[in-house]
Amino acid sequence: MLSPTTEITQCSRRINALREAVQGAKPSVCTERAMIWTRYFKSGENRKKSPYIRIAEALTEVLKNKSIRIYPDELIVGNYSSKRVGGAIYPELHGVPVIAEAHTFAKRKTNPLELSGQEWRQLLSIVPFWLPRFLAMKLDTGFVKKLALIADQLTAKFYLINELGGVAHIAPDYQKLIAVGTEGIAAEAEGYQKAAPRGSDAWCFYEGVKIILAGLARFGERYAGLAREMASEEKEPKRKVELETIAEVCQRVPRLGARNFHEALQSLFFAQIAINLESLDNGICPGRIDQYLYPYYRTSLKDPSFSSRQAKELLAAFSIKMAEIIPVFSKPMMRFHGGMFNGQVVTVGGVDESGNDASNELSDLLLEIMDELRMRQPNFHARVHRSSSEAYRHKINRALASGSGSPALYNDEVIIEALCRHGYKMADARNYTAVGCVEPVCQGKSFSSTDAALFNLPIMLELALNEGRRFGSFFRSGRKTKPATRMNSMEDVREAFEAQLNFFIKRLIGDLHLVEKANHKEHPTPLSSALLEGCLKSGRCSTGGGAVYNFSGIQCVGPADTGDALYAIDRAVFRERRMTLPGLVELMRKDIPDEKWLLYFRGLEKFGNDEPEADGWTRYVIAAFDSALGGYTNARGGRYVTGLYSVTAHQYFGKITGALPHGRRRGEAFASGIAPVNGMDRKGPTALLNSVNSIDFTQIANGVNLNLQFDQALLKGEKGASLLDALLKTYFERGGMQVQVNAFDPQILVEARNDPHKYPHLLVRVSGYSAYFNDLAPAMKEEIISRTVIASVR
Amino acid sequence: MSDALTQEAGKSGEKKALLFDVQRFCLHDGPGIRTILFFKGCALRCAWCHNPESHQARREVAFFAHCCVRCYACREICPKTAVLTGPDRRIDHALCDGCGNCVASCLTRALRMIGETWGAADLLAEVRRDRDFFISSGGGVTLSGGEPMLQAAFLEGFLPSLKADGIHVTLETCGHFPWADMERIAPFLDLIYFDLKQMDSARHESYTTRENGLILDNFRRLAAVFPHLQPRMPVIPGINDDEKNIFATAAFLHECAMDTIHCLPYHRMGEAKLGRIGMGRPGPDPDIPHRPDLKSVIERFAREEIHVVAYD
Repeated sequence: MLSPTTEITQCSRRINALREAVQGAKPSVCTERAMIWTRYFKSGENRKKSPYIRIAEALTEVLKNKSIRIYPDELIVGNYSSKRVGGAIYPELHGVPVIAEAHTFAKRKTNPLELSGQEWRQLLSIVPFWLPRFLAMKLDTGFVKKLALIADQLTAKFYLINELGGVAHIAPDYQKLIAVGTEGIAAEAEGYQKAAPRGSDAWCFYEGVKIILAGLARFGERYAGLAREMASEEKEPKRKVELETIAEVCQRVPRLGARNFHEALQSLFFAQIAINLESLDNGICPGRIDQYLYPYYRTSLKDPSFSSRQAKELLAAFSIKMAEIIPVFSKPMMRFHGGMFNGQVVTVGGVDESGNDASNELSDLLLEIMDELRMRQPNFHARVHRSSSEAYRHKINRALASGSGSPALYNDEVIIEALCRHGYKMADARNYTAVGCVEPVCQGKSFSSTDAALFNLPIMLELALNEGRRFGSFFRSGRKTKPATRMNSMEDVREAFEAQLNFFIKRLIGDLHLVEKANHKEHPTPLSSALLEGCLKSGRCSTGGGAVYNFSGIQCVGPADTGDALYAIDRAVFRERRMTLPGLVELMRKDIPDEKWLLYFRGLEKFGNDEPEADGWTRYVIAAFDSALGGYTNARGGRYVTGLYSVTAHQYFGKITGALPHGRRRGEAFASGIAPVNGMDRKGPTALLNSVNSIDFTQIANGVNLNLQFDQALLKGEKGASLLDALLKTYFERGGMQVQVNAFDPQILVEARNDPHKYPHLLVRVSGYSAYFNDLAPAMKEEIISRTVIASVR
Repeated sequence: MSDALTQEAGKSGEKKALLFDVQRFCLHDGPGIRTILFFKGCALRCAWCHNPESHQARREVAFFAHCCVRCYACREICPKTAVLTGPDRRIDHALCDGCGNCVASCLTRALRMIGETWGAADLLAEVRRDRDFFISSGGGVTLSGGEPMLQAAFLEGFLPSLKADGIHVTLETCGHFPWADMERIAPFLDLIYFDLKQMDSARHESYTTRENGLILDNFRRLAAVFPHLQPRMPVIPGINDDEKNIFATAAFLHECAMDTIHCLPYHRMGEAKLGRIGMGRPGPDPDIPHRPDLKSVIERFAREEIHVVAYD
């Protein structure tokens, strides 16, 4: 028997073949969901039904009619789309603008997607139907306001509302589905339904849940039929047996509870497909699979014909299936979300509900698979805490030091405290997993719209210095605040900054309330709700606040730029008196034309160098942002919480924001996540980590993203892994929340940029997630190359 | 300590250090993650020195031409008319007394002060910022330079507080110091990197401006009493990598009952620094080829049963 620690790609011909097939497939657009969904909604009768029933029936139709395939060598089956690697279109959400530019997908340079002329014409044919009906058009407000909001979101200068494309971002209660099957959950819904008056909102919700659960069960059975058919024609005896096993597994799950490891994984993956097709295909996360699959793993091990080697193969097959699911982004969306990634997180390790170390053999197997496969999805995360074993940490550090780019690391102590501080029960906080990029939620209990919106913080300063106007603009976009001529202290500058910030947060929350209500009214999510605790009991859909936890996450983009800019004003104007404030504003308006002042501003202290004063300003802007959000409650009854990650929005927001006095000219990208301004961490990683840790992360309930980029030469060998361990251990002990590590030869990135064919599958950490370097937009590639690489100082 | 330094550093009675840099996250000058304190002032003038700004035990103004926008604010403010207007040189170091007015006036940081005085309390606070990283990585503080031993009076007051804090201390020294100073400092040191540059005293003098008698004496005495002494050799092609010198070095090490030496290949990173502080080469230009042949050095030492740890 092969040892489970042998590399899966070397010992399993099957896994190698599956990986090659998926990595070799051209990412494509699949029209099936859009067409079936449209066919269902074109019926006026259907449109009159309760929204829960309508969505449940439409999704059932999709699962019933989409083409199904079992590919060669597969053990875990279920094709998300009609293409090997494909994405779906959601015309009722954000699909209309996507279709509008679908003809460019095949030719575009960044993230090209295959789409035939016939498929494009098919998609075009449904646009007239959806144009007056897609989500933004269903906002409960006047027509003019609606168009204004849509227009505002097309340029998204101040904030981007992701929720216009749906909510998603959940770690479903797959444990429950695997244990009792769709029939078990449907029986529970049925029980609750009896108590609800027929035709009431709750009754319809339960009805929707029952419909889609039955639909999901039948989806599995379709594969059982297909596998049986293929088995009967299969000549190769070994594959024939495999197909028969697949048929048996799919006949049982997801309808009934799983009896072994294979059935558990298969049940989970069917649901993973269906939830991705229900609403927004973003941040649908298996989460802590090492925890809830463990009992099935133990059970299977009792079977003498099953070994951990087989478990590893099944897990690897599952992992590769996750990479078949991709999002379809339009060009404007790619400005914010680069890299063909839709945030399907797998988390390993961490503590259990009582606070004890819960990492197990499956955590180890998953870390090995992650390192050996190195594919863009799933997004692997590892939880660590004070009692994580040396062996576990070592495994992670060795992978990172060798350049795996994954997993991202999460500090249990800080995240659990942050969640408790924002209202989580301790046991639930301990059962967190990140979803999407970095956002912590409780597995199976949270319906947190963690990526509700991204907010452009630095532009608030531009407005504050200019009476609420953009530089060079006649129109006032923000609040009228004091002119620079009448600002006599930093107190005045801060007051204007906070006034602009509060003004736009208020506007954003108003918009979000409209979108939240529209999502609930037009696009509830009965399937997701069936897999989130609280919804069945309360009779409320997750979109209506039925889940236990209901945060909305707003991302504060550009905190370091904003903080450094304020610090620069303090130094230049009020302390060194190099210029007047109007003089400084004039320089900004003219885009800092003078090399002398540019160098002066750039030479000032910056966040990220362990200098308390400069760091203090970044802390201040984060606190100001968090407190601006503090007073509001979302339509689901949850809090708005701060996130400090930017996906790729720091590029876009930077591009449209004027010059700022920390020596940043108009259009330059902001810093990513909580990172210092590019190239401005001059004192090395210990100083950087100390600066980052001066922020109180227990305030940041929607997660943070810190990228550390190392020259691989520095991390080579055991010495490198232990250096990394020392750095990260101390960072976490001192209050760090999250970190991800890129380690590679900087030269390789340059070569990969110049010749994309040279390293077709070079995996890099972007912002809370990994992407193939080739999948990134040119500006993002440049940014990754220019991020400060931590090299030896000598 | 030189007079100039005493003047600058010791005004208030408290001994102060004159440093030309404090670098964090250094990985090659002792174990683990380290903060290096670069002391300004050295008794030697090695022809290959890669830190020429460390020589003088006084503050010096350095000029970074690529940052200069030629506003000449410095020219207006200089009381000694020491500001030049050429493309590569801005300060006439013969006239400059290091008052620093020009540095304060320079918006673009083209003029920077090399050499900063530090009180023991401030320096301790700076070093302590990375203390947790020292502990987790087995690192600490490295005293480098220049020659830290020239500021022994400061170290005598400063090092006990590092010791009390559990911080590992490494000294890098050229070996040219009065033995009495070392007797006072050694109890606070955990590791000493001691340079053996050239065994022939005349050659030593011609390349470093000093004979090696005191250095070798100090080494012998340290080897007898200090358990963590590590000899190092900067390998300079054509100057000390010959068979004769390696044979002599090995014999000396055996005499001191030592069997390992660290070899650092010569590099030319110091050259760019020379112009900034208006210096030519400190010694005769050795016209050194770029890469020393470490392999043959290792082999030669191996023949003498000395193990080499080579740096890259």
